Amino acid sequence: MKRAVAALVGISMLLIASSALAHHSRAMFDQTKQVTLVGTVKEFQWTNPHCWIQVLVPDPKNPQAEPVEWGVEMGAPVELMRKGWKPGSLNPGDKVTIVINPLRDGQHGGLVVSVTGPDGRIIGRPAEVTN
Amino acid sequence: MSATVIALLAGCLCPARAQTSSKERIKAFAKLPDWSGIWELDAFVGQSDGQQFSAEGQRRLKQYAAALRPSFSPEYQAKYDEIRKKVEDAIAADPAHPPVTHQPLCVAPPFPATSSPGMFEWRVTPEETTFISTVGAVRHIYTDGRSHPPKDELWPTLMGDSIGHWEGDALVVDTIATRKRLYMGELSGFFVPMSDQLHFTERIRMVNHDQMQIEYTVEDSVALTKPIHVTITHVRVTDFNRMIEETDCEENERDPIVNGRITTIAH
Repeated sequence: MKRAVAALVGISMLLIASSALAHHSRAMFDQTKQVTLVGTVKEFQWTNPHCWIQVLVPDPKNPQAEPVEWGVEMGAPVELMRKGWKPGSLNPGDKVTIVINPLRDGQHGGLVVSVTGPDGRIIGRPAEVTN
Repeated sequence: MSATVIALLAGCLCPARAQTSSKERIKAFAKLPDWSGIWELDAFVGQSDGQQFSAEGQRRLKQYAAALRPSFSPEYQAKYDEIRKKVEDAIAADPAHPPVTHQPLCVAPPFPATSSPGMFEWRVTPEETTFISTVGAVRHIYTDGRSHPPKDELWPTLMGDSIGHWEGDALVVDTIATRKRLYMGELSGFFVPMSDQLHFTERIRMVNHDQMQIEYTVEDSVALTKPIHVTITHVRVTDFNRMIEETDCEENERDPIVNGRITTIAH
């Protein structure tokens, strides 16, 4: 879904309904904070209304511990494809570095800011500014 | 005259009439502007993977927002204040799970919000111009000279009832019978009720090969003290050449609404 998810906090808009109408607000993500996840892709969900990356992130201070699974939300498939993504851009086992705006509720999840793939290159279009 | 004879006569006449009509229709097509291609709201250009707006997109959104601020009548200002306060309070009570006042979230954006997310196509014919968006919105703007249906045949719908006519290369559209509400993008977003006098006019034209301009006028003699005027710009999409419908939340909805709030299922 084009699921353009628009955060228009504090902005009065009527005609430009934001993706909030198409899908939802982004207020559940703390866009004043960024968290960097370095881990391994468990699953890349190329789905509507949003694509998701499930990534397993080991604790660098305790590499023997079970890695923590994070869920990272992105745009809809067609919007991601316009930015250079494809359904096969990520595969289970790929090593990735993902910067996110974390969920406010403390779950291991967030909104994508940028994704760096196994070859060290950024995939797609990272956030230009914080909304 | 028997029914058989009438049918035969009709059969003889129809092809000739169809041929004439077809020629006239082709001539009518030739007079219409070429709005082919795929378009999007300029503010959405450059959105990132996480759907953050670009700096220029944010600038455009703020510009539109300033133009869109409505002047409510005292009665409707009170309604707006009350709803806004409720949303504010709900956010303060649980900022991690924004309240939503508009459900379901996965239907097509109602007019006039159709000009918001997604990509658009215009199909221009002599009888009708159709607006199609990738987020499920389809508007039928009849240009065959008809009027709006009589009042007793109208009821509020997502897109309302639109009729239009051409003034040179501009399509002038009159829309009534939309849902009686306007969407406010403030806070986590909410609707403000409007009266049954809610009425939209648009003047739509392609100003150059890559830009379409839509001048909106929103009137409501009961809810607004003066009309709202705003002009928005659609720009040609150059990085994609397919319209893909994607208004399907059932496939993998991980931000479900629970007790009127958006929640997220991280895994």
